[in-house]
Amino acid sequence: MKPANAIYFIREAAQSLSRNRVLSLATITTVAVSILILGIALLMTVNTGNIMNRLESDVQVIAFLDKNLTSGEISAVRHSIEKIDGVKSVKFVSRDEALKKLQESYSKDYDLKATIGKNPLPNTFDVKAKDPHQVAIIAAKINRINGVYKVNYGQGVVERLFQVTRWVRIVSIGFIVLLAAGAVFLIATTIRLAIFARRKEIYLMKLIGATDWFVRWPFFIEGMFMGISGSLIAVLLLALGYNSLVSRIGTVFFMPLVSDPHLLSQLYLSLIGIGALLGMIGTYISINRFLKV
Amino acid sequence: MLVQFYNVSKKYDNGVIALNDVSLKIDRGEFLFLMGQSGAGKSTLVKLLFREELPTRGQIFVASRSIVRMRRSDIPKLRRNIGVIFQDFKLLETKTVKENIAFAMQVVGASKRDMQARIPEIIKMVGLHGREDSFPAQLSGGEQQRVGIARALANRPLVLIADEPTGNLDLETAQEIMELLYDINRLGTTVIMATHARELVKAANKRVITLDKGKVVSDTPSGECLL
Repeated sequence: MKPANAIYFIREAAQSLSRNRVLSLATITTVAVSILILGIALLMTVNTGNIMNRLESDVQVIAFLDKNLTSGEISAVRHSIEKIDGVKSVKFVSRDEALKKLQESYSKDYDLKATIGKNPLPNTFDVKAKDPHQVAIIAAKINRINGVYKVNYGQGVVERLFQVTRWVRIVSIGFIVLLAAGAVFLIATTIRLAIFARRKEIYLMKLIGATDWFVRWPFFIEGMFMGISGSLIAVLLLALGYNSLVSRIGTVFFMPLVSDPHLLSQLYLSLIGIGALLGMIGTYISINRFLKV
Repeated sequence: MLVQFYNVSKKYDNGVIALNDVSLKIDRGEFLFLMGQSGAGKSTLVKLLFREELPTRGQIFVASRSIVRMRRSDIPKLRRNIGVIFQDFKLLETKTVKENIAFAMQVVGASKRDMQARIPEIIKMVGLHGREDSFPAQLSGGEQQRVGIARALANRPLVLIADEPTGNLDLETAQEIMELLYDINRLGTTVIMATHARELVKAANKRVITLDKGKVVSDTPSGECLL
């Protein structure tokens, strides 16, 4: 693109925007609404993802140890567990600690130790996996270690949880793809109207000997401008709304809302990028039909 | 030889055969009429020349280049050598006379200096001096066609194609436009004019190719036509 042409393209785009003011505003509003819905869906997905991650990371394997292991044997078991592929952390919980925790779940007036006399609980290791989906395999390996008499990882429930989280992820991605496609369609339609209003001009340009790109550029700039303006409005509304939501309620289902400023600004920037891209894709779809002269 | 048609046929998707085995040659500097009733194939022949349409069969050469085998990206280059004027003028209503002409130069990437030199020159040539800043709606039909001609000539084409240029004009204005076209031809530009105005053709005393139902039925050197 020659610099002299760039000025011409931008001027043409600006002229067309102001000449078709109503149509341009309609397109910008369409983009704003689409990006707003898309943004809400994205924020919901990010938050659901966050909840799912937390739920999944709570999954752990509890290894119950034989009662009369010496401390040397216990640390040998610890080494063996740590050597297993995919193990993230191993935490020793002594039988005294376990009893204390159990006591905490009863009221203070009730003395658990006095009732049961001797502590019946075994020493345990709480094992977390790097990938929570691996717990079943890791549990089976731990079960084979000498000195471990039983493992527990919420068999059955865990599998169910993973099934639910998988479906939630698939459905939200599908939802987002559908919304993006809808936005492209709406933008393509509005830009097609703008181009249709100028089809005579495009026909003439082609007859006089303008290249396809010479005809396209002003429309691309126009489409991009509308995409970016629309998404800026949407991001502004979204950021204001979400921030006040975070500061007012802060949690959903006892899980904190995602408020990492780095992640959020990345999300907002990509929404603006998506707006520009949607504007360009919409223009591209609409204009090619008119270039066949 | 500027234009050569070899056994050119054109059948549209809807089954209409617009041209049927047409062969013809046009020299540089000629002034040529394409005569025929509406539907005889004049407009199709014109559209083939600047490659708005492709022939179904046959070969077409413009300035010794096949425009049938031409790549899509080379079409702009061909069209910059061909100026076209229309029966309905096809001016941009939102642009002034000067801007309509400038538009033609802008879209082929002419520099500002070129435009500043060329536009007054061309306005004077077509006789629109003093109307530079008028909008098309403020001009008479004849004046609007002069703008069309100025726009077509702005990029100094080899050929000027006129598709029924006087169709919307009264006889007197039509004759003025014809005089302008003769002047342009005298300065070296080949002119191909499609028309069914027999009086104009007879008065001109130039080469006439007559089309009927997509075929060339006569090609005479001096104003005679069959229809």
